[in-house]
Amino acid sequence: MTRVLGVGSPFGADRLAWLAIDHLAGLGWKDCELVKLDRPGSRLVSYFHDVEQVVIIDAVRLSDQPGSVVAIDLERLQRLDYPTSSHGFGVAEAVALARQLGELPPRLHVLGIQTGEDVKQLPAVELQVLANLVSGYLDPAS
Amino acid sequence: MNDTTRDIHIHVPVLTRVEGEGALKIDVVDGAIQNLALHIYEPPRLFEKFVEDYECNQVIDMVARICGICPVAYQMSAVQAFESLFGFQPPDWVRDMRRAMYCGEWLQSHALHIHLLSAPDFLGFDSAIAMAADYPDAVRRGLELQSLGNDLIALFGGRSVHPVGVRVGGFYRAPRQDEVAALLQRLEAALPAAEALVGWTAGLEFPDDEQAFTSVAMSHPDEYAINQGNLISGQGLETEITFYESYFEEHQSPHSTALHSTLDERPYLVGPLARLNLNFHQLPKPVRKIMDGCGIPFPSHNMFHSIVARAIELHLAVYEAIRLLQNYHLPDEPYIPLKPREGNAFGCTEAPRGILWHRYDVDDRGMVRHARIVPPTSQNQWRIEEDIRLSLERFGLDNPDDALRMRAEQVIRNYDPCISCATHFLRLDVHRR
Repeated sequence: MTRVLGVGSPFGADRLAWLAIDHLAGLGWKDCELVKLDRPGSRLVSYFHDVEQVVIIDAVRLSDQPGSVVAIDLERLQRLDYPTSSHGFGVAEAVALARQLGELPPRLHVLGIQTGEDVKQLPAVELQVLANLVSGYLDPAS
Repeated sequence: MNDTTRDIHIHVPVLTRVEGEGALKIDVVDGAIQNLALHIYEPPRLFEKFVEDYECNQVIDMVARICGICPVAYQMSAVQAFESLFGFQPPDWVRDMRRAMYCGEWLQSHALHIHLLSAPDFLGFDSAIAMAADYPDAVRRGLELQSLGNDLIALFGGRSVHPVGVRVGGFYRAPRQDEVAALLQRLEAALPAAEALVGWTAGLEFPDDEQAFTSVAMSHPDEYAINQGNLISGQGLETEITFYESYFEEHQSPHSTALHSTLDERPYLVGPLARLNLNFHQLPKPVRKIMDGCGIPFPSHNMFHSIVARAIELHLAVYEAIRLLQNYHLPDEPYIPLKPREGNAFGCTEAPRGILWHRYDVDDRGMVRHARIVPPTSQNQWRIEEDIRLSLERFGLDNPDDALRMRAEQVIRNYDPCISCATHFLRLDVHRR
């Protein structure tokens, strides 16, 4: 089973991952649990349990085109100037903590959706690219 | 910069999903602190305007948005205010289940603070991630207790962050028996870990830093106060929450958007240590027994003991939640419809970080016309500043700036302030002349 976690908040471009989850929900995939999380902080670790594969989707500020979707490897994740959640515990910190505790899921992928410079604005997201990437994780043979 | 003036800039830039920012500026002149200012940028002030012209039940959901860590506290203070104005005394079922839900918030908030925010200070790590390498079981315990608290909130609130279950007259929905039974089983399984946590925190090494301060908390004749009671202080004050404004004042400060609260023109302490100092005699016997055996004497005026106070309250939260859920039954109706009444509504409950006082001016349609919200962090702000000054002077101002910053951060974290209280949230400027 794969768990896809959309991490965000109701504010501005921080909603991007939730919009992505809404889009994926319309695709009717099986064996795939879609979850929207509001600034989970360290609670993110608990969503790594009892599942074979986890895909985290979150808004990121990189130098790419706003709305573009990028796969972020775990090493790069730790180096990002990454938005932090409450108490300074964001996705990067939660993944680092899970790794330290040996609680990473067997397969973990992180997808970033690029915000614009103005994080209050919602860019048009490359939803098809996102869906293709997640679909590829669900069925690597495809 | 010259050899007698040093500046340190430890900067965490403001990014999305950061709840706020803290900064500290200290001027040291001739080996003594001349100026000390803790900067806090605090969002609840905006909410006081947001909630105007909204109906009471909408306001209960809105104020939950003020804080992602203590939304239940905001909801409970608000619903208490409205129900009190409307002449409603919650029936036992509503009262007990709200206390159980509140225990969930204490549990998750205290577990988070003890394990991920505060313990690394005491154990010499710069983060919980680093601490997890040497103390994996402790960190796992924290995550599990936090998760359990969140699930207890979600049992009644539908979700743990910004729950939506509380309404005027009761709850929107009563949990099913099987849902309660499943959570009760987990709480009972967690009780030994909660008990052990008290001893674990008491075994940490604490600086000797006794200070004189006034504790302020709620007090209830029949129980360790959480969501009901009068206001009391260590100086003998006892008053109804309605008269809060007669005793407590807020002052504007140029260096902070948070107001400084005072009692008799002096700073005061709210939160776990203040509560325990004033109400420890009301702890249930099993919780009291663990406290008495932990080796830290309460009442205490060493703020570094607040991590132990938090652990004792975490134990209390698990114990109380078990007690309350063991008696769970489905009510005929989860809420009783109420008729709004015009007037001034007052509510006050014990948020994880201390008393959270609300006042709403409500019209005859139940619409909020004016709101005033006094969160715990602004009440503690002057006390925090006073504590930093005393602690750093005792610690020694000739210590390197990094050591001063770390000690100041630890002092501030003792209060679990609800700003962006990240592991390194503090921008510190030390000016020596």
